[in-house]
Amino acid sequence: MLEIRGLEAAYGDVPALSGVTLRVGAGEIVALLGPNGAGKSTLLGCVAGLVRPRAGAITWDGGENLLTVAPHLIVERGLAVVPEGRRLFGSMTVADNLDLGAFSPRARAARRESLERVFTLFPDLRARRRQTVRALSGGQQQMVAVGRALMASPRLLMLDEPSLGIAPLLVRAILDALVEINRAGVAIFLVEQNVRAALTLAHRAYILEGGRVVGEGAGAALLRDPHVRRAYLGPLAAGA
Amino acid sequence: MRSPGGSTENAWTVAILAALALLALLPLLAPRDDVLNFVFLVLLSITLAQSWNIIAGYAGQVNLGHAAFFGLGALTARTLWIAGTPVVAAMAAGALVAPAFALLIGAAAFRLRGAYFAIGTLALGEILRTAVGNVLPEISTLPAASIGAYRLAPRYYLALALAALSVLAVAALGRSRLGLGMVAVREDEDAAGATGVSALGLKLRALVLSTALAGAAGGVFAYYHISYYPSHPFGPGWTFDALLMTFIGGVGTLHGPVLGAVLYVFLKEYLTVRWVDFHLLIFGVLFIAIVLLFPGGLVQALIQVGNGARRRITRRP
Amino acid sequence: MVLAQQIVLGLLLGGLYGLAAAGLSLVFGVLKVLNVAHGELIMLGGYGAYWLFALAGFDPFVSLLLVIPGSLLLGAALYLILFGFVVRAHEETRIKNSLLVGFGLALALHALAVRLWTADDRSISTGYGGAVLTVGPISIPVIRLASLLVAFALIGGLHLLLARWRWGKAIRATAEDWQAALLTGIDIRRAYLLAFALGTALAGAAGTLVSVGYSISPSIGLEWTLKALIVVVLAGLGSMLGTFVAGLFVGVAEALSAAAFGGPYREVVGLVIFLVVLVIRPQGLFGRTR
Repeated sequence: MLEIRGLEAAYGDVPALSGVTLRVGAGEIVALLGPNGAGKSTLLGCVAGLVRPRAGAITWDGGENLLTVAPHLIVERGLAVVPEGRRLFGSMTVADNLDLGAFSPRARAARRESLERVFTLFPDLRARRRQTVRALSGGQQQMVAVGRALMASPRLLMLDEPSLGIAPLLVRAILDALVEINRAGVAIFLVEQNVRAALTLAHRAYILEGGRVVGEGAGAALLRDPHVRRAYLGPLAAGA
Repeated sequence: MRSPGGSTENAWTVAILAALALLALLPLLAPRDDVLNFVFLVLLSITLAQSWNIIAGYAGQVNLGHAAFFGLGALTARTLWIAGTPVVAAMAAGALVAPAFALLIGAAAFRLRGAYFAIGTLALGEILRTAVGNVLPEISTLPAASIGAYRLAPRYYLALALAALSVLAVAALGRSRLGLGMVAVREDEDAAGATGVSALGLKLRALVLSTALAGAAGGVFAYYHISYYPSHPFGPGWTFDALLMTFIGGVGTLHGPVLGAVLYVFLKEYLTVRWVDFHLLIFGVLFIAIVLLFPGGLVQALIQVGNGARRRITRRP
Repeated sequence: MVLAQQIVLGLLLGGLYGLAAAGLSLVFGVLKVLNVAHGELIMLGGYGAYWLFALAGFDPFVSLLLVIPGSLLLGAALYLILFGFVVRAHEETRIKNSLLVGFGLALALHALAVRLWTADDRSISTGYGGAVLTVGPISIPVIRLASLLVAFALIGGLHLLLARWRWGKAIRATAEDWQAALLTGIDIRRAYLLAFALGTALAGAAGTLVSVGYSISPSIGLEWTLKALIVVVLAGLGSMLGTFVAGLFVGVAEALSAAAFGGPYREVVGLVIFLVVLVIRPQGLFGRTR
């Protein structure tokens, strides 16, 4: 569905991505792992149209060049992003944030069903729908963020570090929700620092270091890979 | 924006000072009042524009209340001079009052970044204009004896000297640590702060230099005009003139305000003669065009066009 | 004059300050652009109403129905021709450019107005212009009272628009986080266009009310821009109703200072308050710290 080939990006003179190639197939959960500053957010930014790459191609649905699509139209194509730090509209209510998620015409048509689906996934939000987002906890806000992206009726859901700063119990809830979402047919591209959680979820994963893809494989296999265990799961895990 | 200092700037400095030196001979060669009045205006404009340029081009702050300092200089100089102080001393006083006032509000003003500084200075300019207009609503006219003794030449030479001074000040600024520091602050204030450059200190020094020159120019204005309303030099039109001239020529450059002033005064004369009512309208539109299309100034744009044309001409198979 | 009378008059004028500020606040909040020609847009609205009255006999309150849509279109045009280009830069350059462009626009519009309509003061005098509502010792000019109510209604209307209308919410979202807005599929340039047009519409309405309750001339531009700025800085960004209240406050503050120090200094006091607030609390009384 999503094909990224040879993507190069830089911030001024500082290179961020060098020849990144990866893909996400329909119905898959693909994880992107790597240390801070590896370029994971930059990659998502390129796909979302917020960052302009220097070279490379991003193809959607087999044919369309996403790099030619204006950022606000990416959603219409079927991709939705849950950005790092959630980037919710804090001064507005949960309901308004969710409603804005369905802003694009295609999503708008399915607005009511989407909202129901979101409330079923995150029952907590139904009760809080008139609350101002700013007043919610980090975990609840993350649910709103995921919900907002779901309101766009995406075929591919991209998340940037959804577990960052969230209490472990709520992380569990969100990851479970992601599984549910995937089961309903939505592909998921998950950028995560919580390697263990991401790998237990993902069908496949890529490892990004210093702007390059240095590893790729099935989720379970990578979980057992010694390099991955050493680098990302801590010294104790490496020996096990 | 270009970095100050460097050989092009030296070349400009020399060229401009040479031109000014030649202009010093003008009253002797062509003692026609209308010509001298015209050149006087150009010289005064150069100073006014250069003074604004220091804050905007070098310290990166848009001062929309610049006329306040021009006006303060004029007010001080005029008051002292009419009361009997020798004119140069009166003008010097004006050149001190303006920065004194600037320092008073400067520390507070510079807590404001970008937009807030601009609108703060805009408001300040208005406050002064209104206050002066209320306190001194009557026209200020020279006593009859002074009118009889009025000679254009000394005014001309004062304006000339001041213009040269302003150019030298900017040239020295470009070369000094102060100037480089200012550029650093202008480019990235936070980064500059991290390397130990005191942004506030630099901005204040730029402010002092800028307003001192503006105040001095005000003094020359006060000395030159036989009668005017005391609130007139506080009007926003003077700020806009300085802005426009600096932008036409190129902000942050040494030659920008000079070329801009010359172009502006000539253009204004031409337009006023032919299209009396429209010149402000045309300048407004011109200004907008420059800001949006030619951020390097008209002069820069013309140079680029010239280069482009030359390249095309020389590119023969 | 009785102090209470002064205060009431200040309140009535303050409502117009609030209306004038609301438009500026909307534009600044959404586009991050400070249109210092806002006062000139108010002036143009005033002249629009004036000429509709003088040439076609339109009652100024009725001509609002024409001036507001007209100002909407003018705002859209100004955005497309001018400010649309200014918003392409990053925030710091954007603000600086908008100030300069606005400054140039203000002078151009001022010169145009002088050219077209001379520098004379003008005012709309309707048949009911002298009507006064007397409450105890206080006389309330009916026109100014009606203007206050209209101003309040317009601001209330804008508040509802921003709260309920799909594009109103999109405008608020864009103001808060334009990148997130893009991610949710909002065309932020359309949001900018709408915000600027709405801001201009409010300015035009304010101008109309000024022309009938007070007077207009080409020079009122800068004065009203500063008034609007004062109120915006006092109120902070983000609340239309807060802006209205801040406007009332400024109106009353001016009235009180005129009573205390005499007429000519009413202008100065407003500006001084402005500077003080600017330095001490740039986010205003109602606004949020960024």
